[in-house]
Amino acid sequence: MRTFRQIQPILAALRSHKTAVILLVLEIALTMAVLGNLVFIVYGTIQRSHVSTGVAESQIGLIQSITVIGEQSQGTTAGDLAALRNVPGVTHAAYGGPPLWYVERDPVFLDPSRQHPVAQMYEFQGSQDLSRTLGLHIVEGHDFSDDELPVLAKMSMSKDFQFPVLITRALADRLYPGGNALGRVLYDGNAASRVVGIVDHLRGEITGRPDDDYSMVYEYVVGAQNMGGGFMIRASDPARLPQVLHAAAAALQKADPAHVQNKLFTMPELRAKYFRSDLATGRMLLAIILILLVVTALGVSGLASFWVQQRRRQIGMRRALGATRGDILRYFQIENFLIVTGGVLLGALFAYALNLFLMHRFELAHLPANYLLAGAVALWLLGQLAVLGPALRAAAVPPVVATRSV
Amino acid sequence: MFGYYLDLALRSLRRNKVLSALMMLAIALGIGASITMLTVLHNLSGNPLPQRSGVLFHPQVDPRPANLPGASKEPPDGLTYLDAVNLYQLGIAPRRAVMSANWLPTRLDAPDSPLAMRTDRATTADFFAMFDVPFVYGSAWSAQDDANHAQVVVLSKALNQKLFGGADSVGKTLVIATKTFRVVGVIGDWNPQPHFYDVDDVNDGGAFADAEQMYLPFFTWLNLPQDYGYGPMRCWGNDPNAGGHDPKAKQCTWAQFWVELDTAAQVDSYRSALKQYSEQQHQLGRFQRAPNVRLRGLLDWLDYKHVVPVTVRMQTWIAFGVLLICMINTVGLMVAKFLRKSGEIGVRRALGASGRAVFLQCLVEAGVVGVAGGLLGLPLAWIGLWMVRQQPVSFAASAHLDLSMLGAALLLALLATLGAGVWPAWRASRVAPALQVKSL
Repeated sequence: MRTFRQIQPILAALRSHKTAVILLVLEIALTMAVLGNLVFIVYGTIQRSHVSTGVAESQIGLIQSITVIGEQSQGTTAGDLAALRNVPGVTHAAYGGPPLWYVERDPVFLDPSRQHPVAQMYEFQGSQDLSRTLGLHIVEGHDFSDDELPVLAKMSMSKDFQFPVLITRALADRLYPGGNALGRVLYDGNAASRVVGIVDHLRGEITGRPDDDYSMVYEYVVGAQNMGGGFMIRASDPARLPQVLHAAAAALQKADPAHVQNKLFTMPELRAKYFRSDLATGRMLLAIILILLVVTALGVSGLASFWVQQRRRQIGMRRALGATRGDILRYFQIENFLIVTGGVLLGALFAYALNLFLMHRFELAHLPANYLLAGAVALWLLGQLAVLGPALRAAAVPPVVATRSV
Repeated sequence: MFGYYLDLALRSLRRNKVLSALMMLAIALGIGASITMLTVLHNLSGNPLPQRSGVLFHPQVDPRPANLPGASKEPPDGLTYLDAVNLYQLGIAPRRAVMSANWLPTRLDAPDSPLAMRTDRATTADFFAMFDVPFVYGSAWSAQDDANHAQVVVLSKALNQKLFGGADSVGKTLVIATKTFRVVGVIGDWNPQPHFYDVDDVNDGGAFADAEQMYLPFFTWLNLPQDYGYGPMRCWGNDPNAGGHDPKAKQCTWAQFWVELDTAAQVDSYRSALKQYSEQQHQLGRFQRAPNVRLRGLLDWLDYKHVVPVTVRMQTWIAFGVLLICMINTVGLMVAKFLRKSGEIGVRRALGASGRAVFLQCLVEAGVVGVAGGLLGLPLAWIGLWMVRQQPVSFAASAHLDLSMLGAALLLALLATLGAGVWPAWRASRVAPALQVKSL
């Protein structure tokens, strides 16, 4: 009740400092607008960097091994894969590439005339054992069985051949809303495919869009060819993945000396590199957020300490007339709360305006309302923290000041 | 008079040290943040080749079919193989270079030397003179070498260091994609940023990729026994894979082409030659569209390709938002400060100082805060840029403060605080002397 009664005189006092108050409210509002949007961007980036691709990332490593035509070679792709599988610690090996690494993206059609693409999907293709090397979780239907896979050497691209494929749950729901996808036929630019299984997740890229998870997987049996490209291994122990990968690379080089190896990385390394620049941007924005908070705190406490100095006599008079230290302290705290509240209300408006601008220029998503609430709470706390020093100094003004002239 | 005002300003600032320090610190933080981002932006949008950028042009023609759904009005960035060869042979420009890039398996010409993939640029003889590439050893190959599909190679300094320990390797041989190449030259430090001649570089880094490790004659490279990719290839048609691996496919663009044109007259005549060429191809039935040509200068090309990363532009906007907030902060503090001096100002006015004099006095005080804030902001910007350089992004290495940005920082700080000081100073100069003196 006491607190409540104080509001009236505080507002009256603020009215005589209109300009400074308006400027402070404006500063807090702008801070809130920038802060809300920046936190939104940074948090979105961090969240995105934790989204899983759906494969057994901690166990997968890749060796890019390129054939050089003209160099003498006895190696075969089947031999290469066998050599990889024989490395201690390797449970599976396949020819093919992992997510986040130049995955082909093609339109998908439901009609063989290929007139109307339904969506864009990522196509993972590779040798037998690709799905097991990736460690996909099949939630419906079945994994590839060796007898149904097409053999690369005998692959006749006849018009009615249908590749058995796995597709993601998200793609199945997009292509056949409400229906059962198993056994259905779909088309990409080149071939027809029959769905044999559904996997929970497999993301070709992690951009934050829902179609990241639109993926299809197909396998073919490799044999006596000598193919170059990505060779993936899956290690049983994630902790030993780097050593196992190096051993596998050496084994592959030995099995196929005419190959030249270029890239060698584990999935965790690939992921770190994939998000490097986004996280770097996030860190820079975080620095800007800190600067902003410091500047606003400086502004609040600067103006408050100024007002305390200016009002020393009045404070002394109030003390002399019976106001306690607590009353004085609370006066400045309530004053600050009122100013920040004004700033926060205006700031919510600014934040939405800035968000609209950023959405328009930089394809940012819509700012959810809870960010505004969090921003408001943060600014209230910051304001109280910033005003505490000056308010304590005000509370320490002795009543005797009232009797002195300026 | 200015000296006196300065003295007054310093006295006034000294009287309330904490508040003055807060104002300066706020300005310094705002200046530090905005100069950091401005420097990054300035370096990224800088001129990669200042001495040559005025005479380098990027010709484009439009070989796409007439009805291509969703096609942009702009012609493709690259050329098809056929257009690249035709324009290369056009012979109007004093110099021209056709080019692309990939990775090639390379080893020393010794029996047990291990293979490694190396980045290379395939181009034609004029490349080196056009782009002012310095040579440490040897020289570029000749136009004759281009015509003869000679197996010659120019190495970067770094690759020469790696393969030959930095010695003069001219005349030595390398095995590249199973063919034997003779080294004819080694270039010095040369790495224009942005990587303007190939902003979609297929190697890591895009427009801020490093220069390649070696240079091969374009037509020799095209006849290598194996497909190692042909740079950023784009094809059109129903089947997105059609021709994706045939560099000579007529529906695929990938070759990059640059010309040197020294005078405005040459530029005009080259532009009409491009139109004429399109017209002729149209009549032959190869081009379905009316002549749609571009001849952008180097800087226009970088502008058109938006090589500055969008996040950097966004951060620059945000940094200026921070500066604005810092300025509002300063205005607020100055209003309070000058208002507090009302009594003093009243006395000064009563003793004969004009409103203008008071205004100038206050403005000098604001300026002092600004200069101090700016000076304090410079080390902050330096720290900020150091932090940017620690970031693992391709453009980070170029984030350095140069003299022009240093001047810009000080000027920005001064203008910002003077701007912030104008209104408080004007209010202070409007103080009615009688009212203030009475209350004393």
